[in-house]
Amino acid sequence: MAFLVQFTASLLAILVLAWFARRLGLGRDARIRDEEHAQLLADEVVYGFEALKTAVDEFGRAALLQDAAGRVILVKLHGAQFSGRLLGPEAEALIWDDLGERELQVSSGEWLFGKACLHIADPDDWARAVKAAKEPAHA
Amino acid sequence: MPEFSPIDFAVPAFVLLVLIEMIWAQRKRPGGYEPRDTLTSLAFGLGSSVTGLLTGGAVLALSLWLYQFRLFDFGAEWWMLWWLWPLCFVLDDLGYYWFHRFAHRVRWFWASHVNHHSSQHYNYSTALRQSWTSFFALSFIFRIPLTLLGFHPAMILFVGAFNLVYQFWIHTEAIGRMPRWFEAVMNTPSHHRVHHATNPLYLDRNYAGTFIVWDKIFGTFQAETDSERIRYGIVRQLGTFNLLWSVFHEWVGIAQDVWRAPWRHKLSYVWRPPGWTHDGSRDTSDMLRAQWLERQAPAAPEASEKSVPNDNSIAVKEKPA
Repeated sequence: MAFLVQFTASLLAILVLAWFARRLGLGRDARIRDEEHAQLLADEVVYGFEALKTAVDEFGRAALLQDAAGRVILVKLHGAQFSGRLLGPEAEALIWDDLGERELQVSSGEWLFGKACLHIADPDDWARAVKAAKEPAHA
Repeated sequence: MPEFSPIDFAVPAFVLLVLIEMIWAQRKRPGGYEPRDTLTSLAFGLGSSVTGLLTGGAVLALSLWLYQFRLFDFGAEWWMLWWLWPLCFVLDDLGYYWFHRFAHRVRWFWASHVNHHSSQHYNYSTALRQSWTSFFALSFIFRIPLTLLGFHPAMILFVGAFNLVYQFWIHTEAIGRMPRWFEAVMNTPSHHRVHHATNPLYLDRNYAGTFIVWDKIFGTFQAETDSERIRYGIVRQLGTFNLLWSVFHEWVGIAQDVWRAPWRHKLSYVWRPPGWTHDGSRDTSDMLRAQWLERQAPAAPEASEKSVPNDNSIAVKEKPA
């Protein structure tokens, strides 16, 4: 019984702390600033990755980068930080047409990693690049 | 033996410090906290206390059984020997260093310890991101030598709890550097930020619990450099706040790798360092550091390998180090 009380109290304390963090407005306003920022983030995904071509979402939510070998990295906002994946055979790219606004939706194929939406200039080119991208053997 | 749990008394202080740090973050570093990350970290802490409760009895029973085979006998009233307490604390901290080093260098132990590193934030809530699977990973074996030496399991648990409490306050970006004498001997926020970093320069460094001297003695110390922007988390960031995936992802990874690997390589996916693969398709921390050093060298042959005066060295292509 004492354990249940302690557990419930701890759970409530946790929820209050998370609510307080939200109330203070912490962790907002993160975005991918520009191509240079996207390159820095891609380099954290694959060390030494040098992008020849970069597309950054208009709202800074995500970016796609392609190197000379045709490899494509997706970098996306993850909370107040960023996370990325080298896209492989499981990756998918779809173009959504919403009242004339075309948006590219990219998935790494990793369910929990989620999808990224990119409002970029040339979604068709990038959709093709994603489909062509092949991740090196990854045991 | 007095009944007293340091952690029970410390929890209110933990909560208070988290609140204070959040207010600091709002003013100085709004990105230092993220509500979903905080929720995940705290849920880790709660779950860890539950699993600790469920498995603690078994560990204590095993320790008490092993205690009968002790090398030294400090008498029936061992708790009255004042000098035994600090001695036990120091030796337990040494044991912690080696546990922690193995926890980073052997994938089996890493699968459990990775929980603590899975946040991309570094704040007091991260300190509470404790493992749920440390019993399964057999992490308790690192405390067995102390029991066999003659330290009573209750004393080891007590000093271990103090060690854990000490390590709470160092999980922050709000504190820069402590006085030099303190930085020289003790583990500090600065030293531990290095430990939580994924920058190649910092990977697998500063394993200390309370005393940083162990890292200096065993060659794993790395000082924090002002010019190196620290990135926290793990080499392959999770990209999700899903609690269960955060807890078990590395165990799933081991199972998948062992399943897919040729027979002669299967065990290597369990005991070799995280990132090791039989086909070289992934990188260990040593490989990442070597690549990083190689990238630095041509640009600045005169630079010392510990000097990285750039905002983000991992991303630098041409700038001299």
